[in-house]
Amino acid sequence: MHIPDILIDSRVAMATTVVGAAGLAYGLRRVERRHGERTTSLMGMMAAFVFAAQMVNFPVGPGVSGHLLGGVLSAVILGPWAGAVVIAAVLIVQCLVFQDGGVTALGANFLNMGLIGSVCGYVIYAPIRKAIGGPRGILVGSMVAAWFSVLLAAGAFSIELAIGGGQHDFMRILTWMALVHAVIGVGEALITGLVVRFVLLTRPELIEEEEQSTDAEHSTEPSGRPGWLATLIAGVGISLAVAVFVSPFAYDAPDGLEYVGEKFGFLPDESHPPMISSPMPDYQAPLPVSIPGLDAAKVATAGAGLAGTLIVFALAWSMSRAFSRSAPKPGGTAAHVG
Amino acid sequence: MSVDGFGSLEGARGNGPLHRLDARIKLVSAVAFVVAVAAVPLGSWRALGVLTLILAGLIVLSGASPLRLLARWLGFLLLVGFLAALTAGGRATATGLSWGMVVLNLLLKNSLAFLMMMVLAEVTPWNKLLGGMRRLGAPPILIATLGFMQRYIFVLGDELSRMLTARRARSFRGRGGLGFGALSSLIGVLLLRAMEREERVHAAMTARGWDGTMRALDD
Repeated sequence: MHIPDILIDSRVAMATTVVGAAGLAYGLRRVERRHGERTTSLMGMMAAFVFAAQMVNFPVGPGVSGHLLGGVLSAVILGPWAGAVVIAAVLIVQCLVFQDGGVTALGANFLNMGLIGSVCGYVIYAPIRKAIGGPRGILVGSMVAAWFSVLLAAGAFSIELAIGGGQHDFMRILTWMALVHAVIGVGEALITGLVVRFVLLTRPELIEEEEQSTDAEHSTEPSGRPGWLATLIAGVGISLAVAVFVSPFAYDAPDGLEYVGEKFGFLPDESHPPMISSPMPDYQAPLPVSIPGLDAAKVATAGAGLAGTLIVFALAWSMSRAFSRSAPKPGGTAAHVG
Repeated sequence: MSVDGFGSLEGARGNGPLHRLDARIKLVSAVAFVVAVAAVPLGSWRALGVLTLILAGLIVLSGASPLRLLARWLGFLLLVGFLAALTAGGRATATGLSWGMVVLNLLLKNSLAFLMMMVLAEVTPWNKLLGGMRRLGAPPILIATLGFMQRYIFVLGDELSRMLTARRARSFRGRGGLGFGALSSLIGVLLLRAMEREERVHAAMTARGWDGTMRALDD
């Protein structure tokens, strides 16, 4: 998932660096306003935790293992912007000490995994949590958010790569990324869910409170409420998610990708809409029809998206039965906090 | 699982000419080198040759084993190759080079960037690098966070290996090792211990007058 140096276009690298730096500065300010002098200690510990947790390898199959990414997990525990700051710290250490992820791609990686992974993931998590309520809401919300955050990051990754590679590569990159990350996303959702469930069963008070319950105490600064910027990022992100799985079909209609281009264009790459939109005319070229395997890939991509979503929902629901068995009435924990 | 990778965070112990250089100079010039590599247009092998010579000279100066550096880059070859192959098609049509040439060019450029960042990490201890970043104008709150993170990584790494030892001492291992459930609980426990430790450490720091600003004595 970490983009190495050189592989993304220099203009994309520059634009994402600017966006990433601005996002990190904003996130740091939000977190500092919330936690005051405790910020550095808390963020440092959480970042160290995510870093260490990423070292734990989960067996996936023969010779293959995966690990937690942690963007949504840290956002669920500490709030969206804290999650993004944590991911930024992890990425900086991974880049400068372990050369995992390029230094020119640091902004892009932070955009994908921190801003989209954590902040956008939280914006998906919060309404699900509210709608379902109680620990079950937290569990289902965090798992669904974890699944989408991986896919969204993969979608953003594909777009960043495709801008350097040229229009004709876009579908191929997107299909590959979506297929690979549909699997990774289910794993991330499962691990995130298991860890969140563990915390809910042992120390539920550690999970970030719902905004309603804290509003009464800190009316000046609602704790976890995502601001307009988060909503903006989420809006772009969710349209991206839809695009990842719908665009294989919308591809025949030329405005399918234009839509993505526009959506993407106004966020990290404002100055270069031509990169995407200018090759549009020769774009309905025979490409989608002439490659024989592509129809199968379309179906596979959309199928993977659908199957993954259903699997994650089913997993989340079955795992949340732990609460109705153990706790007397799970709705109580979140409700009486405020 | 390995916790050994943490060793790199302690950073360089050598005392070569590059080790003694100010961290700011090293950081800025390493990033400038990577940007230069990225800026070289596809297909201009001569410019890449010059950059390769510069890098080779720096590797010799740093005293690091070139084989070890290369071996580490090879670990990323699969990922880089996959991404290069995915994007090479469009770039080939844009530049008129053949597909293989573009992939080769991307791989060479990536190796140059990667090795340069590795040389930087080789000759610069992490806390010197942090000090350099701070004096280059990075937000102090970010630098302090990274500083705390470095300390806690070792603590949590030890915690993790203690927990694994305890687990091994008390249970049989199936053929498949630990399952998802057990590993997730392990991470959950690590999370709880991390947060409780942070609470304790923060309380202790507050008792000793911590007000949120990091004061560095060295550099």
